[in-house]
Amino acid sequence: MSVDRAVVRRGIIDALPLYVPAMPFALVIGLAIVESGINPFVGWSGSWLIFGGAAQLTVVTLLGSGAAGFAIVTAALVIQARHLMYSAALAPAFQRQPPWFRWLGPYFLIDQIFALNSLETDKDPKVFRTYYLASALTLWVLWQVTTAAGLALGPVVPEEWNLEFAVPLLFVALLVLGLDSSPKLAAAMVGAAVTWLTASMPNRTGLLIGSLAGIAVGALLERSRKR
Amino acid sequence: MSAFLVTLAVGVGSYVSRSLFILALARKRIPDRVLVALQFVAPAVLGSLVIAVLIDSEGQVSIGVPEAAALVVGAAVAYRTKNHILTLVVGMIVYWVLRALV
Repeated sequence: MSVDRAVVRRGIIDALPLYVPAMPFALVIGLAIVESGINPFVGWSGSWLIFGGAAQLTVVTLLGSGAAGFAIVTAALVIQARHLMYSAALAPAFQRQPPWFRWLGPYFLIDQIFALNSLETDKDPKVFRTYYLASALTLWVLWQVTTAAGLALGPVVPEEWNLEFAVPLLFVALLVLGLDSSPKLAAAMVGAAVTWLTASMPNRTGLLIGSLAGIAVGALLERSRKR
Repeated sequence: MSAFLVTLAVGVGSYVSRSLFILALARKRIPDRVLVALQFVAPAVLGSLVIAVLIDSEGQVSIGVPEAAALVVGAAVAYRTKNHILTLVVGMIVYWVLRALV
């Protein structure tokens, strides 16, 4: 029992510092929901239906801009595709887990949970499971509360502050923090340029074309670099 | 599609992307080519999103001097400090100041 409790505490303590950078993100999402004019509860429901900040922010801002449903879903799922890597990396550890946890665990598999738990895969299965759930539930509860707080804050913030500009700024920040090679920079530039060129296309389909063009250019450059 | 259905569809898709290998393909490996492409999903989509969220209802990209300057300064702050809270703060200040001046 005490071993369990120590693992739970370790999971919570390890998760907390990872939440600090997510906090302004959650607040921006709450503000963006208010700004988008969609039903606030529907916007917030993305916090637990999707449980992924970049995808939720994309859904909310694009819903507010009147983009077509299929374009929004596809764009958001392209963003979520990186989770396939996490899923594949943790699959061996999950094979030693009971079915209920194999079904429940992936729901929480966000960037931070992968980062923490990929270091735990050689632990005893029960310890792995306990640590995973403790760290995951910590981040999950905080995420629900902070996005709701952003929602409550939204109507209080004066219109002329134009806080909606925080959305592209946050995307720039996330983009730059992940750039560690020139093909990635090229992928981002091509994505932005093609989206700009196709801006007048209906239903924000330009976002998809830009993303796919960026991925293609990045992958091609990476392959030619390795040769 | 209603806002809720869009959100629900993205939620289901997110779960599939997180559970696919754990639940269904535990013994399968992701092909190398796909792994290479997956690395570029985040930068390409984020680059596209920066522009996409600035498109107005007429299909024009509404970037003036304040927006462009704030995004460039924001990118520089993010690059130098690796701190996205600082990026948000500095970027918003640049945006506010220039909008008041221009």
